[in-house]
Amino acid sequence: MSSHNESILREPLITGKDITYAKVTDDILLPVENKPNKAWWIGFTLAALGALLWVVSVSYTFWTGIGAWGLNKTVGWAWDITDFVWWVGIGHAGTLISAVLLIFRQNWRNSINRSAEAMTIFAVICAATYVVAHMGRPWLAYWIFPLPNQFGSLWVNFNSPLVWDAFAISTYFTVSLVFWYCGLLPDIASVRDRAAGLKRRIYSIMSFGWNGSVKTWQRFEIVSLILAGISTPLVLSVHTIVSMDFATSVIPGWHTTIFPPYFVAGAIFSGFAMVQTLLLVMRKVLNFENYITMFHIESMNKIILVTGSIVGIAYLTELFIAWYSGSEYEMYAFANRIAGPYWWAYWTMMTCNVISPQLFWFKKIRTSIPISWVLSIVVNIGMWFERFVIIVTSLHRDYLPSSWAMFYPSWVDVGIFVGSIGVFFTLFLLFLRFLPSIAIAEVKLLLKSASLQQKTKLVKEGHLNPEQVEFFRNSLTKYDSVTEEDIKELEIK
Amino acid sequence: MDSNKKYWKGLEELQQTPAFVEKSKGEFAESIPVEEVLNEAGLSTKTPRRDFLKALGFGVGAVTLAACNRTPLHKSIPYLIKPEEVTPGIPNFYASSFNGQSVLVRTREGRPILLEANPAAQGLNCGTDAGTQAAVLDLYDQAKLQGPKFHGTDTSWDELDTQVVTALGSAAAAGKQIRIIASTVNSPSTIAAVARFTEKYPTTRLIEVDAVSYSGITKANQQSFGKAVVPQYRFDRADVIVSVAADFLGTWVSGEEHTQQYISNRDYKSLKKGRMSRHIQFEGGMSLTGSNADVRVAIKPSEEGPLLIALYNAITGGSLPGGLSSNSKAQTALKLVAQELRQAQGRAVVVSGANDIAIQTLTNAINVALGSYGGTIDLDNPSYLLKGDEEAFSAFLAEANRGDVDVAFFLNSNPLYYHPDAAAVKAALDKIKFKLSFADREDETASELDAIAPNHNFLESWGDAHPRGGYYTIVQPTINPVYNTRQAEQSLLIWAGDTTDYYTFVKTNWEQNILAGSSKTWKDVLQTGFEYKGDAPAGTYTFDTSGLAGVAAAITKQSQALAKDVEVQLYQSIALRDGRQANNAFLLELPDPISKVTWDNYAALNPKFAESLGLGENSVVEVEGENGYKVILPVLMQPGQAMGTVSIAIGYGRTKVGKAGNNVGQNAYPFAKIVNGTLQFNTTAKLNKASGSYELAQTQTHHTIEGRNIIRETTFAKYKEDPSHNTGRWSDSHKTYDLWDKYEEPGHKWVMAIDLNACTGCGSCIVACSVENNVPVVGRDEVRRRREMHWLRIDRYYTIEQEGESYTEEDEIGRLEDLENVSVVHQPMLCQHCDHAPCETVCPVLATVHSSEGLNHMAYNRCFGTRYCANNCPYKVRRFNWFNYWNDSRFDNYLNNEFTQLVLNPDVVSRTRGVMEKCSMCIQRIQAGKLQAKIEQRPLKDGDIKLACSAACSANAIIFGDANDPNSEVSKALRNERVYYVLEELNVQPGVGYMTKVRNTFEA
Repeated sequence: MSSHNESILREPLITGKDITYAKVTDDILLPVENKPNKAWWIGFTLAALGALLWVVSVSYTFWTGIGAWGLNKTVGWAWDITDFVWWVGIGHAGTLISAVLLIFRQNWRNSINRSAEAMTIFAVICAATYVVAHMGRPWLAYWIFPLPNQFGSLWVNFNSPLVWDAFAISTYFTVSLVFWYCGLLPDIASVRDRAAGLKRRIYSIMSFGWNGSVKTWQRFEIVSLILAGISTPLVLSVHTIVSMDFATSVIPGWHTTIFPPYFVAGAIFSGFAMVQTLLLVMRKVLNFENYITMFHIESMNKIILVTGSIVGIAYLTELFIAWYSGSEYEMYAFANRIAGPYWWAYWTMMTCNVISPQLFWFKKIRTSIPISWVLSIVVNIGMWFERFVIIVTSLHRDYLPSSWAMFYPSWVDVGIFVGSIGVFFTLFLLFLRFLPSIAIAEVKLLLKSASLQQKTKLVKEGHLNPEQVEFFRNSLTKYDSVTEEDIKELEIK
Repeated sequence: MDSNKKYWKGLEELQQTPAFVEKSKGEFAESIPVEEVLNEAGLSTKTPRRDFLKALGFGVGAVTLAACNRTPLHKSIPYLIKPEEVTPGIPNFYASSFNGQSVLVRTREGRPILLEANPAAQGLNCGTDAGTQAAVLDLYDQAKLQGPKFHGTDTSWDELDTQVVTALGSAAAAGKQIRIIASTVNSPSTIAAVARFTEKYPTTRLIEVDAVSYSGITKANQQSFGKAVVPQYRFDRADVIVSVAADFLGTWVSGEEHTQQYISNRDYKSLKKGRMSRHIQFEGGMSLTGSNADVRVAIKPSEEGPLLIALYNAITGGSLPGGLSSNSKAQTALKLVAQELRQAQGRAVVVSGANDIAIQTLTNAINVALGSYGGTIDLDNPSYLLKGDEEAFSAFLAEANRGDVDVAFFLNSNPLYYHPDAAAVKAALDKIKFKLSFADREDETASELDAIAPNHNFLESWGDAHPRGGYYTIVQPTINPVYNTRQAEQSLLIWAGDTTDYYTFVKTNWEQNILAGSSKTWKDVLQTGFEYKGDAPAGTYTFDTSGLAGVAAAITKQSQALAKDVEVQLYQSIALRDGRQANNAFLLELPDPISKVTWDNYAALNPKFAESLGLGENSVVEVEGENGYKVILPVLMQPGQAMGTVSIAIGYGRTKVGKAGNNVGQNAYPFAKIVNGTLQFNTTAKLNKASGSYELAQTQTHHTIEGRNIIRETTFAKYKEDPSHNTGRWSDSHKTYDLWDKYEEPGHKWVMAIDLNACTGCGSCIVACSVENNVPVVGRDEVRRRREMHWLRIDRYYTIEQEGESYTEEDEIGRLEDLENVSVVHQPMLCQHCDHAPCETVCPVLATVHSSEGLNHMAYNRCFGTRYCANNCPYKVRRFNWFNYWNDSRFDNYLNNEFTQLVLNPDVVSRTRGVMEKCSMCIQRIQAGKLQAKIEQRPLKDGDIKLACSAACSANAIIFGDANDPNSEVSKALRNERVYYVLEELNVQPGVGYMTKVRNTFEA
């Protein structure tokens, strides 16, 4: 891939001067090979406290029963499944970036796939905790799998979306983990090679004997492609199946055929928002501005804009179909979302998910780091409310008005949700500390083709269409990691 | 092949060298290097791989063995000599009675677990209300005394007897009075025992006084007809029923009996014959009866009397002064009502709920004019359920104050709780030398007295009752006395020096008096549970109208006195009634049929009236009575409540009844007053907004159907034109398509039909279901969190009527000005046992599955609690065990002790935390019925199996049976034109059919 020259029209994926393979390794391994700084410790302490809150809340639930939550006879799922779907959705961006973008040869994924995949795995772990925690008798959770057993000829109900869900989530987690770890192997080997003592031994085991031979690299490429092939359908299937938890029911507001595509779009939407939230901080704190460039940020914002719009259209379609169905229950369910007691949740969702991403039509906004960061959080708030709206407002007023009820969360509900964010960040911060958070080997691939340094060299060599060079120069103005001198250098004299 | 060849492994073996012999002994064994490992050198040496494996093997084995704990043993001890009549696992039934209701007591292994209406007593005050259904729990009440008490300390019966006899002796010697204060005593044997006691101590008198008094009726009948009785009403003979504030289907006189009579003219069988009575209710607060009326008009308590005066004038053409001049709606209705009543001469009845001699006298005059006596009102076979006379009690207080009374016994009587002036009672009691209570617990009165001689629970007692003319029931024990208690009558006999045991006493009394001249023996009575001697022939009754002017003047005066302030109507709640069973958790958690409030009483106000007082949802209000008594009560917004009135339930606010019932709600008895010798529950008060807020625990918080077709109603006129009017009959006009295969139901198909016209909403079925199926009581806070566990609930929906329009959507109702005109419908809602059950498809572990008999089963053991089934249930009838309600100290309402756990039905497993549960259609009863038929080698007959709910329903609103049997009652009922299925359009194919609500409204 690095043997040919990339078109000058393409924006650089790596900026900075005097970048060598060694420098890439040095830069990326900086947090792994050095003591963590103050910022990391502050972040880690906060996250660990959150994780502790999670442990306390979940333990309390297990000790006393699900009654510790705010659920009731009418609303049997609320924050638990809202959080579950939210985390699963967040997990989606990782797979999309690592698998789908790999197959489509989107090289810009190389700088962000590692951390996005890590995020996926941690998000799915958080989601999986809810699968177990929401059960009345969590110690029997293994019954969800069709295991041989001594209970007679007891099998699972293959008609139940929850069974499909268990398969989908466990498959997804396994494949994501394998894909992520395979990708890590050459980089772990790099760490190993530079380390000494115990650290070297540990990384040596973790690198599975990577020796860097051509054959190893070749196999690595093949495995990556195969895993990408396996993962690609999962991007669609997992959230499709999650959506079927609702879509196959009879509850108005759940019983909807639009759910699979709508959920998948929403998942990618929230996933990219979470990647954005994490990477914008990470590139700043770890000085990765040259690797995660404005091009990456802008591309992700574009994806957020597109998926956000899909989600918006899905919301409007739901409303239309509710009216068009002529079913009074369906109509009421949506009227109740808009103007019922949970109207504020609906309108939070609408504002955050439909209106706020539309701001990304403006280049100024989608290339502004602080605004992108704020909006990425807004989107994640909106997506949490989307799931809350779907679950709670549909359930709390369904068919028989006698059973209509309100849901109010208890401190345990809040504790488990806030705690799960703590668990997520604890895992993510440990990841930053112990594993290369950018795929070193894959970034190196781009150095000789897609880096600013290479392109500058090409320009200096001449032979390029001046108009194209001018276009290239203009595209660089948005980069925060490119100085004016850098751009000046590209002037054709 | 035979071969003797021998191969040596080496020369050593051939030569058997000593070294080889030594080695060959331990060819495979290698000594375990325990010593080496354990000495210090060993610890520092490298452990060989095999040693490691050995250690690991031993370690795992040892840990496994150590972990093999013995399964905890629950010892069940077999009978050493098996009683002939007890077979473990097979229930025994004993005929008995409670409050005059003839019941069968179901016992298992010697413990009573359920009361059921005695089917043999059909039509004879049979039926069980919620209180009767719940009464079995009172037997297992932990608050009960375990033995006699003297001055607050435990004592023995001998000791107590000595004290009592001494006190009686000194009273007799001094010629002082001895008084037995009791709530209505209609038991012939008790009366005989008291008579025996009186023989010994001639200064004894029995004073009957009830918490809720009907002496107004008794005295009015004394004045009008010379008969001091509460008559028996025959609503089955009435085509037109007018009730002025009498909750005759609920708490007034004999609700269950009235319900049976009333429904017999209104249920599907009657409608099929084209017959339906018309019921017009005038009342202030929304009562159970009012909610069932065809026409209900809200009037203030002060308007009751004037309304009856106007009605009398309209019917007789009389011109009594003081007729209703306010309330134009009531006046309009009155004209129509009078016309209806005149047309139904002899088939009409007017009842009035006021305990007031003047009003009851006027009601008598109206009924005489309507020719009701001998037809719809039976004075010759009167009710003996409520004979209390507060005048007699007032006289007793006066005697006591004078110091004439030396000894007083209290039997089923708790005046320090229910008397309007408890302080005066206390002062009078203090003047009595020796006071004793027969209460089963240290209640408000008993705890203030000298001694307590705890009485048996009725399930431990011998006895009888005489609920009405010609009808006697017996009470027989079904368990040995649990505690060291003694039956009150036995105590009286012993103190009178009579050592006859009370069983013999009752038996002799029956044989000599009640069964005299009858072919029946005592044994027959024990089997049937009652003796019915037939009705006495009706006499003729005339009314002397000359005194009516004085009556009208008295009514006007009272009415004016009431109208001066906010009018208060005290009433008995359906669940707790007069408060006697206030420690019964089943009753405390039984939602009020109208307000759906549990665990509290409240001030019911019309929402518009509340608004005008600055009160709203969750507000609290201070109610100040005429005598200055103040309580702070939560406000309940009650549509249908008359403007300017407040209704407050009595029976709450007990302080010494037990853990569950103490300090639940506020005591409203002190608001009552005694006027002209009768206890008045209509009074006045001042309402002041109080600070703070209070959330009532309601099981239903949305009160209208929002225009949905889940309730289908029609009028009797439309029904006569088209019996299937407004049923929707959705399946007739739609073709349905199924994803699923049809279930084969070759044997039975259990289904249910519910007649919305028969269901009065009383809630007896809810309690019966809870008792039968061990449904836990969860307590006020959990109900507030909307987590009550009832498998069967009764949905209650309001429709607001205004200017000929009906409003069912809460948005519209919010804009209405007048919320007095309300029509109510009660819809029992339980698992519909759908053939295409949405719950079944979504359960990941097949914990809820369909049976080949059409039932939706719930396998508790398999459930791991995802709650998806409950979410996907369109009827929201599934209930989740959020906690271990029976074994969690936070829910100590009743069941967290081994004694009360004896009430559990052993046929139904009690569910653990994290498991879903719901109506099983009493699967255990279905199974028992099938097994019985199998043992008797006969096919199952319709009616062999009765569900707890349908057995408890006096109105026969719930019909259960086999749809595969075309001649079963349920099949016939489901073929009725009125049948519809709730949410039929979802094609879940529910197994419970509902019949339209038919109202016999005035034809406009």
